[in-house]
Amino acid sequence: MRLQQASASSIGSKILVALTGLALFVFLIGHLAGNLLFLAGPEAFNQYAHALIGNPLVYVAEVGLLSVFLLHVAKTVAGVLANRSARPTAYATRRWAKAKNPRSRKSLASTTMIVTGVFTALFVATHLATFKFGTVYEAAGIRDLYRLQLEIFSAPGYVVFYLVAMGVILFHLWHGLSSAAQSLGVDHPQWTPRLLVLGRVLSVAIAGGFFLIPIYTFLLSRGVL
Amino acid sequence: MAMTVTLKVWRQAGPAAPGRLETYTATNVHPDMSFLEMLDVVNEDLIRAGQDPIAFDSDCREGICGSCGLVINGIPHGPDAGATTCQVHMRRFRNGDTITIEPFRARAFPVLKDLVVDRGAFDRIIAAGGYVSMNVGGAPDANAVPIPKDVADRAMDNAQCIGCGACVAVCKNAAAHLFTSAKIAHLGLLPQGEAERGRRVVQMVEQMDAEGFGSCSNEGECEAVCPKQISIASIARMNRDYLKAALGK
Repeated sequence: MRLQQASASSIGSKILVALTGLALFVFLIGHLAGNLLFLAGPEAFNQYAHALIGNPLVYVAEVGLLSVFLLHVAKTVAGVLANRSARPTAYATRRWAKAKNPRSRKSLASTTMIVTGVFTALFVATHLATFKFGTVYEAAGIRDLYRLQLEIFSAPGYVVFYLVAMGVILFHLWHGLSSAAQSLGVDHPQWTPRLLVLGRVLSVAIAGGFFLIPIYTFLLSRGVL
Repeated sequence: MAMTVTLKVWRQAGPAAPGRLETYTATNVHPDMSFLEMLDVVNEDLIRAGQDPIAFDSDCREGICGSCGLVINGIPHGPDAGATTCQVHMRRFRNGDTITIEPFRARAFPVLKDLVVDRGAFDRIIAAGGYVSMNVGGAPDANAVPIPKDVADRAMDNAQCIGCGACVAVCKNAAAHLFTSAKIAHLGLLPQGEAERGRRVVQMVEQMDAEGFGSCSNEGECEAVCPKQISIASIARMNRDYLKAALGK
């Protein structure tokens, strides 16, 4: 079987969705770690950002990240459309089978993956416009992203928008992380139940870290901290 | 003790005809009747009144053949876990209830008449690779090929699949992954089926996709309605087999 044929199949597509999804999650961990440097003050934060932007390899990483992101979006959107056409006539009455058997993993999160996914894609676009392509301040000869972040999160509207966006990403990962494992064929009688819990714990942990940043910055901008 | 229930039943004269939910009143329903016996009684009344009886599939009526399959109040095979439609009894409902009965819905399972759907797509998936190729001769000694008990048990768990199609009916994507993976695991776990493991998964998945089933969202609703409670662990195993085959191993 050729890889091209395999990657177009229902299972191959889901394996690609899982791999790209996990890659994006790994990126999120790195992104959060970098962002938490904000707590260390303007110098550390700006120098970290400068080290990233100043490295020519960042362009390679950006193209790679964008490709992974687009592949994840393309495969999931195509999947949703194909899945809709797999049931042309809808049921008049529909109930979750979970009602009769708790072995189902269906949740509000699992049924709204495409909604939370599309929202996340739109959020990423506005996020890049706000920060990466936002106002360029300079301090000590390098870009002053610390000042930009302080300025943006001094507005309560931005803080609320970011908290909502991180909540949506939490929801996406709530099902996404353990679902990726299942798509990749990771399964074990003892470890799968723990993996399901781990996926939820990790989604709360990563979102919790991201919740902290706009709140901290807002309080700092208001002189509370 | 007799109950009266209102039925909303999907009626469709033929594959191309438009269908709709028709309302019937079933009287003199005994709580100990099976769901299909209740429909039998409704049909006798319809025949006596000179009307077309409700078409539905059934055969063994003891949960082992896989013929019956109705979506009862929005759940394939009705309210009981680990049961087929024929194993549901009227005592699970209350006097005066309204019960909606629909056929399994999927592009790959076209409605033939009323509640009867064509599940030939499953047969074609089996024909694509759900077998073990070998020349059969005299039966070998039962202990000639040693198989550990836990492996035999897992193969047997998967072999329990009766091909009813409830997994497809409940899946929001109308995916046939649980059915296909159960057949793949049942054969692949045993030494006789191991030899064709890679080829089997590729061919069966290709046929499954060609039939117009959807893809798996890992929600596990299929496991919850499966009358044989086959686990989506089998789907994970199928994904592993597929990945290995795709990478040429």
